[in-house]
Amino acid sequence: MAGNRDIPVTEAALQHTRLQELVAPFADGELPREEKRAVEEHLRICGRCRCELALQRDLSRALAREPAPGASAGLRRRIEAIGNRTAEVSGRTFPWNRRWAAVAMAALASMAVVGTALRVRRGGASRPMTEIPVLRDALADCRRAMTRNFPRKADLAAVAEGLQFPIRTLHGPGVELFSTWKTTLAGSPAAGLAYRWRGMVVVQYAVPNELLRQQPEVGQALSRHGFYSSSELGQGVVAVLKDDSGTLLIANAPPEELRRLIL
Amino acid sequence: MKGEARRACFQSTTLPHLDRLVALASRWSDREEAEDDVQETYVRAWTAFDQLRDTGAAFPWLCKILRMVANERRRTVARRRDLLFITELEAAHEEIVASDAPSPLEHLLARLEAGSLREALRSIPEDLAEAVELHDMHGLKYREIAEVTSVPMGTVMSRISRGRQLLAGLLTARDEEKPERRLSMQGRKE
Repeated sequence: MAGNRDIPVTEAALQHTRLQELVAPFADGELPREEKRAVEEHLRICGRCRCELALQRDLSRALAREPAPGASAGLRRRIEAIGNRTAEVSGRTFPWNRRWAAVAMAALASMAVVGTALRVRRGGASRPMTEIPVLRDALADCRRAMTRNFPRKADLAAVAEGLQFPIRTLHGPGVELFSTWKTTLAGSPAAGLAYRWRGMVVVQYAVPNELLRQQPEVGQALSRHGFYSSSELGQGVVAVLKDDSGTLLIANAPPEELRRLIL
Repeated sequence: MKGEARRACFQSTTLPHLDRLVALASRWSDREEAEDDVQETYVRAWTAFDQLRDTGAAFPWLCKILRMVANERRRTVARRRDLLFITELEAAHEEIVASDAPSPLEHLLARLEAGSLREALRSIPEDLAEAVELHDMHGLKYREIAEVTSVPMGTVMSRISRGRQLLAGLLTARDEEKPERRLSMQGRKE
């Protein structure tokens, strides 16, 4: 059979240019009848397009046979839990809380090894941070973000999108924002921000202020002292309300030092 | 539709596509991040489930949400670190089709290890690779890909065609670089 080099150059070139783009959709059965017929006729005289057709078909079939990674059992369980009534908070549904609950449980398990070390050291009647939902989730999320070396981008506009409260970023000498991410704390959407400051990483969570007020111990401390702080094993946690949003700070630093960053 | 009925409908409509979404998300990131993106996709899908008019079109709909999630993280740029020179791949493809061979890739594809085609897709431009993968690996029609990627049908045609051409060029170029192949070619000459 003759190739396209055997027919007049101008006619063949015009026909070839017009129809070569249609070889892939022809191979995939995506052409309407008229165009399909035109390609079939062209293929009879164009060896180059026949070769292209074989290439497109062979690759398509080979790609269809490629093994694909599937969902892990953990992900499947979390997806199946979406919409579960137990994941509903205050009448609103936060199904992705499942994921963070799982992370928090993992963190709790590792904390159990350390014993009951995570205690709030403010007065005598304080409860472990792991019993305060927002702190438990924040610590678990912080640990997780650190383990994964933090998301690579710092995009405030992206994380602020959809939040019903503003994000008050930290400012001050040597404070450098390098990572942001969306997360969920105690069933409520939140933004995570990581900063470099004095050679360490400070993680900030922006949350709705009512979320902080609702937390046991935290709400009381906020109304009495204007802030909440605790520390254990060298890790400090500070919570404050500013304007119409709440802020949580976590770092390997004394809470007094962290308070200076935010108050 | 409310409560448990909505949840049951959501699950029966979307769960069959879970594995395929994880496979698709794996193009942009590592396994763990891919699962995060898929979970976020399902969360958004659950919120917007009432907007899905045709449950038979759930997969393209989920793909579109997943694409938004992945784009928000702006991972596509990082993914293209292995991008090769397009002109070299185009030249390699030209060489293949100029041969007029009836099945130019038959032997090469038969030698490929499982997974290497998926990996090779990472080295061609993102928009082309995405169209090829959605069609060939996930079975979407051109019309559905146009919907998912928000481009005209003509663009989908061109992306799939060109994507496979570059992929063929890439596979051929890599195959020619293999030392065992060079040795066998030398042997044949002798």
